[in-house]
Amino acid sequence: MITKQNLERISDCVYQVPQNFRGDMRVPARLYASEELLEDALQDESVTQLVNTATLPGIVQYAIAMPDIHQGYGFPIGGVVATRAPDGVISPGGVGYDINCGVRLLASHLHVDEIAPRIKDLATALYKNCPSGVGSEGSVPLNAQQLDAVLEQGAEWALKNGYARREDLERTEEFGRISGADANAVSKRAKERGREQLGTLGAGNHFIEVDQVAEVYDAKIAERLGLFPGQIVVQIHCGSRGLGHQVCTDYVNDFQRAVREYKIELPDRELVCAPLDSPEGQAYFKAMAASANFAFANRQVLAYHARRSFEEVLAGDVKNFDLFQIYDIAHNIAKIEEHEVAGKRVRVCVHRKGATRAFGPGATVLPDDLRDIGQPVLIPGSMGTASYVLIGTAKAMAETFGSTCHGAGRVFSRAKAKKSVRGETLRNELEARGIAVRAGSMAGLAEEAPQAYKDVSRVVEVVHRVGIGRKVARLEPLAVIKG
Amino acid sequence: MKRFEEIPHTADWSFRVFGRDMRELFENAAHAIFALEGARARPEASETQREVRVTALDYESLLVNWLTELLWLQESHREMYHRFDITLLTPTELRACVFGAPFSQVDKIIKAVTYHNLSIQQTTDGWEAVVVVDV
Repeated sequence: MITKQNLERISDCVYQVPQNFRGDMRVPARLYASEELLEDALQDESVTQLVNTATLPGIVQYAIAMPDIHQGYGFPIGGVVATRAPDGVISPGGVGYDINCGVRLLASHLHVDEIAPRIKDLATALYKNCPSGVGSEGSVPLNAQQLDAVLEQGAEWALKNGYARREDLERTEEFGRISGADANAVSKRAKERGREQLGTLGAGNHFIEVDQVAEVYDAKIAERLGLFPGQIVVQIHCGSRGLGHQVCTDYVNDFQRAVREYKIELPDRELVCAPLDSPEGQAYFKAMAASANFAFANRQVLAYHARRSFEEVLAGDVKNFDLFQIYDIAHNIAKIEEHEVAGKRVRVCVHRKGATRAFGPGATVLPDDLRDIGQPVLIPGSMGTASYVLIGTAKAMAETFGSTCHGAGRVFSRAKAKKSVRGETLRNELEARGIAVRAGSMAGLAEEAPQAYKDVSRVVEVVHRVGIGRKVARLEPLAVIKG
Repeated sequence: MKRFEEIPHTADWSFRVFGRDMRELFENAAHAIFALEGARARPEASETQREVRVTALDYESLLVNWLTELLWLQESHREMYHRFDITLLTPTELRACVFGAPFSQVDKIIKAVTYHNLSIQQTTDGWEAVVVVDV
């Protein structure tokens, strides 16, 4: 177990486990946390898992943990690891099972006061139109050729098929399509699992929320993004469903052999990896990119259903019930990016596992209308609590490979949450606070109880204070839709 | 001898599974995943039977692949399983006949079986393994 004594304080809210802490570390391990969040992180295996990632061949600068770090399997959740391209490694466990799990934020032109009595109807319509829950089947069944097209084209497929607008893609990380995806690298079984899951929310911590903009911290940026106080917005949090899970399962299994072949010594078998430029590394990258594209298309189809739900409920009552896209981000992904390290531009493979890209002003990959302000960053809170919109910063570019936190981060287990909180009680509590709840499983609801998570506001405060993300607005929930 | 026990894990699920021999360990691990999911068979459903064959590099990866295969059968047939007859078990291959029924309800689906901290160890009572699953 790692204790506070093993950490060096670098600056306010920045701590480091030095490289000499363990003989197999190739770089130090850095943590962004307040005193309080650091205590949380030291309570379980999170920091040991972070140190384990510092042993990966080709890792550059340091392994990074965000303030929402919590124990995962292999990599901690809330971790960033950049490896040298093309000879450093890529690790399927560094992305996780839910490839391109991410968040989309849609905004309306409506003030909460205009539609307050209709929130419950919106919740019901969203629950009905966005299939959720265990084994849910999508509204867009795909044949083999169509699925391959989704895998290779991502949100562009949705645009061609009437589920998207050109502006949605402009406001999506990688414009909704990661290049290098190859449907042939995705197994038959993964495709079989994905074929009926496009346009589904799934279960677990995934959700759709109707929120209001409760507070604006940066009026200028908020205005540029189209956000205003009291505004009705919609958050969609989900990923690549069974298809992504299967791709990760397939490659973690294949890489058990690859680590033997490339003689890579690891402290945990879930960290299996292969050189990015090896046939195994390339095959995984192509399959991971294809799964990420599936997730972009999935959130796009759900956005289409959200628009449909708003129309169903509000047409005739209000003039403009349209939803436009603020942004869509991935928080479980590996990307080939260029960053400056020790004064030199280097190409790296950035694994973000429970971390969000937060590119600052001037990043050339951003669309023209965002390039001068930086990339919007979406930080969902736990159920029933606040969520945040941030903007990427130059400091994130300089220190964290253009990355920031991704959410609240768990503090106690699902089993403990389920024991201490009953789903029905939780639903009643939320409804008493004026939050409409539509959920398929009460047990699932209990596991996601806000008490099981860190306070997202404290997490966001750290990244804001350190400067690896700047607060723009806080959202408060009005309706929660879960599987 | 109890079949398994849950171990606290912050974000996912972890359990320790027991067996007097390796075969029982693998069977009990299968019982554990369906019990943890809260899978309940449809009362009037008739029993179904599936053949399973998995291969791997060693016992640990064989355990991951065996449980992964059962979850795949569960998802593709919408079934849960309650009896596992392992007919062949070597460090690199497992063959089994599994019996189940369509499920009426599952509280929580296991997304994947991980290799994190995976270990199979001999104890005075037989064998013990720790498994972490992603939910």
